[in-house]
Amino acid sequence: MNSAVIEILAPRYQIAWYPWAVQYFFMIALAYASLWLALPGLLGAARWKATARFAMLGAMTTAIVAPIALLADLHQPLRFWHFYAYFTPWSWMSIGSLMLPPFVFAIIALAWLVWREPMLAWRDRSDLFGMIARLVTLGSWQTPRFLVVTLALATAALSLGIAVYTGSEVAIVKGRPLWNTVWLLPFFATTGLIGAGGLVLLLSRIAGPRDPDTARNMLWVVSAAAVATAGVALMWVLEGLYVENSSVAAALRSVRHSAEWRTTSAWGLGVGTALTLGCLLLLWRKPQRGWSWIVGLVALHLAWMARWVVLMDVQTVQKQTAGYLEYTVGWGSSGWLGVVGTFGLWIALILVIDMLVPWRGALGGTAGDAPDTTPDYSAKGAASHG
Amino acid sequence: MDLARRMFMGQLARFAAGASLVPLATVAEAAINEQPPRRGGDPAKRYAMLIDLRRCIGCQACTVSCHLENDAPLGKFRTIVSQYEVDDPETGDMSTFFLPRLCNHCDNPPCVPVCPVQATYQQEDGIVVVDAERCVGCAYCVQACPYDARFINDKTQTADKCTFCTHRLEAGLLPACVESCVGGARIIGDLNDPESTISKMVAEHHGELKVLQPEKGTSPHVFYLGMDERFIDRPEAFASIWDIHGKDNKELHYEFSGH
Repeated sequence: MNSAVIEILAPRYQIAWYPWAVQYFFMIALAYASLWLALPGLLGAARWKATARFAMLGAMTTAIVAPIALLADLHQPLRFWHFYAYFTPWSWMSIGSLMLPPFVFAIIALAWLVWREPMLAWRDRSDLFGMIARLVTLGSWQTPRFLVVTLALATAALSLGIAVYTGSEVAIVKGRPLWNTVWLLPFFATTGLIGAGGLVLLLSRIAGPRDPDTARNMLWVVSAAAVATAGVALMWVLEGLYVENSSVAAALRSVRHSAEWRTTSAWGLGVGTALTLGCLLLLWRKPQRGWSWIVGLVALHLAWMARWVVLMDVQTVQKQTAGYLEYTVGWGSSGWLGVVGTFGLWIALILVIDMLVPWRGALGGTAGDAPDTTPDYSAKGAASHG
Repeated sequence: MDLARRMFMGQLARFAAGASLVPLATVAEAAINEQPPRRGGDPAKRYAMLIDLRRCIGCQACTVSCHLENDAPLGKFRTIVSQYEVDDPETGDMSTFFLPRLCNHCDNPPCVPVCPVQATYQQEDGIVVVDAERCVGCAYCVQACPYDARFINDKTQTADKCTFCTHRLEAGLLPACVESCVGGARIIGDLNDPESTISKMVAEHHGELKVLQPEKGTSPHVFYLGMDERFIDRPEAFASIWDIHGKDNKELHYEFSGH
């Protein structure tokens, strides 16, 4: 044994942020990045309209689930009103607590504006769906286009605030060198885009109607975001190698001898490379684009895993005691139940909206009464459904 | 409130103006995340602790008495004594090193500005405390502390930490850890009073005193006398008592766990 020091009594410091935090950061990143993907279509770009339909569904549902996961990560969730009773302008988390509700309500309002248009056609129905449509559309007036454009731009501005605050909140923590880097901000944003692109690809497969423009757009977005993420990671590592005494150097030092961290980085690099190559392959081989949903799943995995590594794995790196915290995810609500529950709520929300809202008809799409799950490989040009 | 509003407007202006011009790091670290004004406590005092490591025998009396005094949940500690076996590569001899750890009541405490509801704050006498009635249990402060001095108390579901036993200081008593220290290694006192024992010791040993992780810029106010430089930052050490189960899942004594 060549080690000079043995720590006889190494206390087990438990993790303080549970997997709920991963769910929040994952969902909120999907929300803002999906909104960015919806933006061109909302502003009028014809070849992005089908993308915008899927992206709005993703943005709206994740924006609702995200704050629920965030609330669950508080040890005193019922005291959430303290955030608003004691506003603290010097705390990133407090600033975030002010930014979050306007963002969520803006996305809901935007989705309402965009979806009430096709819902107008349901107002004449005599069934339950007609009743809901009459209630939700608040009159049979046509949605003014300037309102959609204005709200879309305002929501996009709010989304930038969310992206900046979620990144900064974690990046300012000097106590954890692996977080304490400005590169975390672009990292969250680019991996968020990977996830949102993947989500649109997946939704376009399972919720249809399949749209070739969407597949092409998203394959480009995911591959570009993956390359950008690799760039961000590279810049971070280079800073650690070349800048004396940087927090990045301390971060790299803290995980230098860990086999688990080596495996994790290898997995991330491998999946990222496979994802990029998969996107490029499908862009090149048009007839195979029916497989894009697999790219979508891998992209979602990468975006989620990025947050798991940053938020959970980093917490297992001890701050001042020897070794690593041996954290195993429990089955209870602060473990897997929370993860599964969040995803379950999200899927339920998508299903409810799919049932009650003819969202496929938004932005000039063709509305239908029921989702068409039959893949239509021959679809060309504008979105079609049914 | 006026101060808060003025600061907020200032931040907003800087935030808006800076978004495109200033690197995000500057916005994240300088504009926001600054120390709020201190409140409560005696403004004439600055409490600090000096730990004379030459007197520490690693008996954990401080750990136990603190645990009893402050009713910490099982397995979580406001103070603890890290125990190390140090191998001398030249002689091959083993020696021991004890390092009592607690909240450093920093002059620039990273745990304070992160708190989103101002539940954790620094008193004017330098002591960092938590208002458990206001704390939402977000654990942001637990993450922010580089010294692992904070934890979430399972009983109260709020942040918990060493308070220098401020309730005892107010009653004219010494903190539990100081009172129970067998070797008299822990000295607490007022740095603003030149006649206090701690002030005299700081003056006497000024050049020899060390603090933990000084490069973090937290300006800790727990000073160590007789400190081994290797332990100022996270030491390159093997954890031993973690390995209490062998491959056959039977309990091992640390001496037999492979080193």
